[in-house]
Amino acid sequence: MRKEDLVALRDVSFTLDKGERLGIVGESGAGKSVAAFSILNLISKPGYISGGEIRFDGKDLTRLSLQEMSEIRGNRISMIFQDPMMTLNPVLTIGTQMTEALHAHQQISKEEARQRAIDSLAEVHIPSAATRIDQYPHELSGGMRQRVVIAIALITKPPLIIADEPTTALDVTIQAEIMDLLMELCNSSGVGLILITHDLGVISQMTERAIVMYAGRIVEEGDTKDIINNARHPYTHGLMGALPQKTTPGQRLNQIKGGMPPLNEIPKGCAFNPRCPLVDDICRTTRPDYTTMGSTRVACHKALSEES
Amino acid sequence: MVAVKWQQFMESAFYHDFRRDKIAITSFVIMCIYVVACYAAPLIAPYNPYDPTIIDIMDSEIPPMWLDGGNSRFLLGTDAQGRDLFSTILYGTRISLTIGICAVLLQGVLGISLGLISGYFGGRVDSFLMRLADIQLSFSTLMVAIIFLAVFQALFGTELYERLAILMLILVIGIAEWPQYARTVRASVLAEKKKEYVDAVRVVGLRPVRIMFRHILPNTLSPILVISTVQVANAIVSEAALSFLGLGMPVSKPSLGSLINSGFEFIFSGSWWITIIPGIVLIVLVLVMNLLGDFLRDVLNPKLYKN
Repeated sequence: MRKEDLVALRDVSFTLDKGERLGIVGESGAGKSVAAFSILNLISKPGYISGGEIRFDGKDLTRLSLQEMSEIRGNRISMIFQDPMMTLNPVLTIGTQMTEALHAHQQISKEEARQRAIDSLAEVHIPSAATRIDQYPHELSGGMRQRVVIAIALITKPPLIIADEPTTALDVTIQAEIMDLLMELCNSSGVGLILITHDLGVISQMTERAIVMYAGRIVEEGDTKDIINNARHPYTHGLMGALPQKTTPGQRLNQIKGGMPPLNEIPKGCAFNPRCPLVDDICRTTRPDYTTMGSTRVACHKALSEES
Repeated sequence: MVAVKWQQFMESAFYHDFRRDKIAITSFVIMCIYVVACYAAPLIAPYNPYDPTIIDIMDSEIPPMWLDGGNSRFLLGTDAQGRDLFSTILYGTRISLTIGICAVLLQGVLGISLGLISGYFGGRVDSFLMRLADIQLSFSTLMVAIIFLAVFQALFGTELYERLAILMLILVIGIAEWPQYARTVRASVLAEKKKEYVDAVRVVGLRPVRIMFRHILPNTLSPILVISTVQVANAIVSEAALSFLGLGMPVSKPSLGSLINSGFEFIFSGSWWITIIPGIVLIVLVLVMNLLGDFLRDVLNPKLYKN
């Protein structure tokens, strides 16, 4: 830790069982994506991991060499990005981009890799996969491209997939299709999923457990149904209240006033205190520790109980 | 497969623009004539200028055939040694073009690799390579070439030099100009590196070398194509300048530059054609390449749409 460094993430501890689906929610700037990139040790400079550990299959990913890390990336842990328009290389056919992951991790012949790629495209319900494979990304629609991205992520049959807002760039109908597809693939092949999103609806459909992040810290963690139905942290509560379904038609939507503080202006005490409706003196001075309430773990001095 | 690619090319915006641009078509046709004529020189040229047995000193300084004293055996006249100028120009253009293209290939390989490394890894590697490029650029190409070639001639003698002249010119021009490529490529890499597809392939676990050459390089090809045409023209001019100064191709195996030089002594005695005709050939060649480069730049850069 150097003196001028800013902390992007702290106290972000969580576990994921084999085949479990975990959701991470929070506003833009909460540190969701940074957390995901940290898992793969791919934080861009000048950022770095200053401490802590990330264990996967018993290995600490922060201590692996570049070589060992390359073995994990794309092979054991895959990632799906936000915008399928941007994540595919415009000048290579999708077949090339798909087989690349296979060639990087397995000794496999060209024909075999191509066959695997076609199978993989069929698995994500792309019609006439055998001809699609020779097309370029610009020849496919947005939804198709995201399917291709998912097919690339799945082609090495990794035990864990990290999906960083996989549907934000797509329109609503396609969004539902893609989410159903992801769900189906996770169930059929027992893949674990870390789903990063700011859509609580998606979280409640897709995941078993959820994490709510604020200003680089986990503020609430627990079973998804408990977090959705029974939010303890005022921030989670605010997020829930901001859902359009919670307001009567015609009324203004509820919102949490203010915005996420930038990294260099994180307030003392609880980071959420300037925006919190329940703020108290203690919130402004002391950073709250985690308390366990039922299935959830929450960092708040004023954690809401069942009744409220 | 080839038919499909050809079909795609015929339908592409590139071909469409090309067909509407008269300058580009003319330049391209002239360029093709140059390339065919000079590489088919042994078939086209009436004489072999490298064969001393057929050169007759009595034929020297005959003007082009349409002038007084012209001889129908020599279309463009002869030079001071009695070589047929037309044949010598064809062979000379071949040498000039070969040197130009090979030197640019060498520049390209060096410049593109260093530019990719510099842009992709950044940090100290980047600073080091770019300062190296700055230093290289602060010496003009000609100065580096003159010093290097003169020292080589002095050390190893003219005879060895004449045998290795083509190779030496390619090496010198190729090495002296790599920063042009390195800088262009680096700038594009910096822009490409930020795009999400690079993150995506890093996540797939590909090695940096593969990411650089397979994924980033193809996306930086358009500026590379554009500077390549200009650089070939530049390399040909550099070669001509060096030959003119007596540091390039020997008179026994003249390039366009050494032909111009060899005629220079006779220009005031009336034999202007030995200098002027190869000069025009050189100017047209360089002009045509620059015009093609302009066309490529306009087409490949969507921000510069011509109305």
